[in-house]
Amino acid sequence: MAKYYGYTGKTLRINLSRGKITVHRLEKELMVNFLGGRGFNSKRLFDEIKPGLDPLSPENKLIFATGPLVGTMFPTASRFNVSAKSPLTGILGDSNAGGHFASEMKFAGYDQIILEGRSKKPIYIFIDDDSVEFRVADHLWGRNVYETDREIKKDLGDQNVQIAVIGPASENGVKFGGIFANLMRAAGRTGMGTVMASKKVKALAVRGSKSVEVADPGKFEKLVEEIEGEIYGHPQYWPRRSMGTTRILMVANMMGFLPTRHFTSGVFEHAEEVSGEKLVEEYNVKTRACFSCILPCSRFYVVRKGKYTGLCGEGPEYESLSSFTARIGNSDIQVALKANDMVNKLGLDAITTAECISWAMECYEKGLITKEEADGLDLTWGNEETILTLIEKIANREGFGDILADGVRKAAEKMGRGREIAFHVKGLELIQADPRGLKGYGLGYAVASRGGDHLRSEPFFELSGDLKRGLELFGIPETADRLAYKGKGKLVCFFEEWCAVADALEVCKNVAENMEILPFNKAAETIKAATGMEMSGEDIRKIGERIVNVERGFLVREGIRRRDDTLPKRFLVEPMPNGPCKGSKFELEPMLNEYYVERGWNPENGVPTEKKLKELGLTYVVKELGKLGVKIY
Amino acid sequence: MKKLFVDPLKCSGCRYCEMICSFYHEGVFNYRCSRIRVVREDEFGVDYPVVCRQCSSCPCIEVCPVEALKKNQMGTVKVVEDRCIGCFKCVEECFFGAINVHPEKMVPIICDLCGGDLRCVEKCPTNAIKYVDPGVFAGEKRRRYAETIYTNVFKKWRLKKRGGNP
Repeated sequence: MAKYYGYTGKTLRINLSRGKITVHRLEKELMVNFLGGRGFNSKRLFDEIKPGLDPLSPENKLIFATGPLVGTMFPTASRFNVSAKSPLTGILGDSNAGGHFASEMKFAGYDQIILEGRSKKPIYIFIDDDSVEFRVADHLWGRNVYETDREIKKDLGDQNVQIAVIGPASENGVKFGGIFANLMRAAGRTGMGTVMASKKVKALAVRGSKSVEVADPGKFEKLVEEIEGEIYGHPQYWPRRSMGTTRILMVANMMGFLPTRHFTSGVFEHAEEVSGEKLVEEYNVKTRACFSCILPCSRFYVVRKGKYTGLCGEGPEYESLSSFTARIGNSDIQVALKANDMVNKLGLDAITTAECISWAMECYEKGLITKEEADGLDLTWGNEETILTLIEKIANREGFGDILADGVRKAAEKMGRGREIAFHVKGLELIQADPRGLKGYGLGYAVASRGGDHLRSEPFFELSGDLKRGLELFGIPETADRLAYKGKGKLVCFFEEWCAVADALEVCKNVAENMEILPFNKAAETIKAATGMEMSGEDIRKIGERIVNVERGFLVREGIRRRDDTLPKRFLVEPMPNGPCKGSKFELEPMLNEYYVERGWNPENGVPTEKKLKELGLTYVVKELGKLGVKIY
Repeated sequence: MKKLFVDPLKCSGCRYCEMICSFYHEGVFNYRCSRIRVVREDEFGVDYPVVCRQCSSCPCIEVCPVEALKKNQMGTVKVVEDRCIGCFKCVEECFFGAINVHPEKMVPIICDLCGGDLRCVEKCPTNAIKYVDPGVFAGEKRRRYAETIYTNVFKKWRLKKRGGNP
């Protein structure tokens, strides 16, 4: 058997219905064309999921994957992707998390773990190198994330196993349950926890003792040293280290794109009271980090006075912090910390939960929902009791919570009201950045392969304002202007490919992309030193493009077309009411056209062209779409 | 003689030291081959790097029935692999659990201070590991404690920060 470098070279397939465990070799073709992580997952989902499949049926597959750099000393390479067909959106589901789980998976000897079928009884799976064990989890079913983690460690008699757990919300069938590693590292989006619960798997515990080797240790060490120097010398190093992503809150507020009270305003008057700076000043006690990361941006907080004294945990990051403050009109940071702690323990996606609550609040304000319909809850902005009760109700699918537990799109359909103000794209709730103040990001939400999300493209470059550099890099100075439209299609294409590569290598996007530490040619060098695969920067970019196209193929097969690549109506017709972005609307169509042309997709329907797919070696996508009668030009 | 000291409040639990250590000693990445290990506890945010303390009289050496452990000039404990019978009495005896077990060779592995050029100390992103003279370290610790006292005193005097007049 040929030796693998970087990769472990093994895929573990666990059939839960039959209790069958198979290990197969990682195909060379997959490594060269898809690199790892998200690339592996998207390709496998395209191959193995039939169109129209019910996401909660046993035929759905839940796939964990890591990348070739995970488990080495490459800074920030510590992440894993978990993918399946999403029960929340009905299209591609995919989420990514850091922590120490992914590296342990590599040390146990697996690049990818596939769960298929459905167990008869609740179980958890213990993977100890080559042994895979199903263990009874009857006593764990219904327990929260923290308790489950504790119990499993006690059960196995080892505090050092790494565990990915689901919470009670997923078991109750909430459509946006997440998978949690290291208690607070959430792969929260698109309801991957719900899929895991439908397979009756409570947790995946991993322990490994194998080594990860690199092809050229000398070269690899030198490259890591170079990258270390770049990270330590970066102007964003210290702000990121002290505040993590929460520093964005004040920036977003200053620039006027902080979604406040369910996107009815771009500035939050209490922003300072709930900012990252406030957290640092009054709550943070120490830094924490993911595996092998030299930029410890996670912070451990302790609440030392007030009602929630004793509350402690890691984070929160920008999304959950601003979701539970500005988005729902809450100005008490302690309530946000409590809400964040609750969603972590119950196993919910913070962004989606906050969107559901803020949607209900706006509906209430507009008179679309009455107090009686909301179980007597007072849905005024920022009401502490309502927020915390609603989180619990959603997790338990009780009363009004039951309506919200299928996501905001379904909630609006069920109520038959408030459809225009349900902020989602393709069923996935929007993140915390108003597209009216960030045109590139907005385009990114519209075309993202998992729905309304920024992590598929993250074109941070438009925030730089560096017109000269825009001209240099993209030939269009306006790419560096966040309120301009010109060139944004090109910009988003470029960043989508970059993000796909970062996800495939499973490195941290904050560092690799936002801090511009790992451009394509540097990635190529690193991959060569780590795995021995000879690649150029252009090949790496192509891999990113291939991943984007295969995912689009998956979406097209599920019936997604150009008409679905859109944003909620408010952004398209209502100008921003206040703040620095006042009066700005969002004009999607011209950018979208530019994007399709740049992508090599058909601008009429948003389907990749045959020429493009063949150029990327995706003939099986052409064949598959042809079989379904999709017109490819 | 210098010794290793750790600061668990500074440690972020990234385990970069484990990777560096295993790479430097074994040429591969495997935390089980690392001489330094970080104990992490997520619920209360504890990160504690465990290092060999280079004790003056080593319990591990004393209990070895076949004299497979020896002290060398630097004060580190050397494992003579050929002699080791794999009883792991040394692992059992070490107060700190600082002795690790090689997963393939099944012999104890003990910190050798990288021959004086300590990789974990050099590479730690938060400077949580130090290699200093114990007397000097005690002095530093003393000063840090005293500083917390006068910060409190100054606070009482309503000065926000030490060193500035209102």
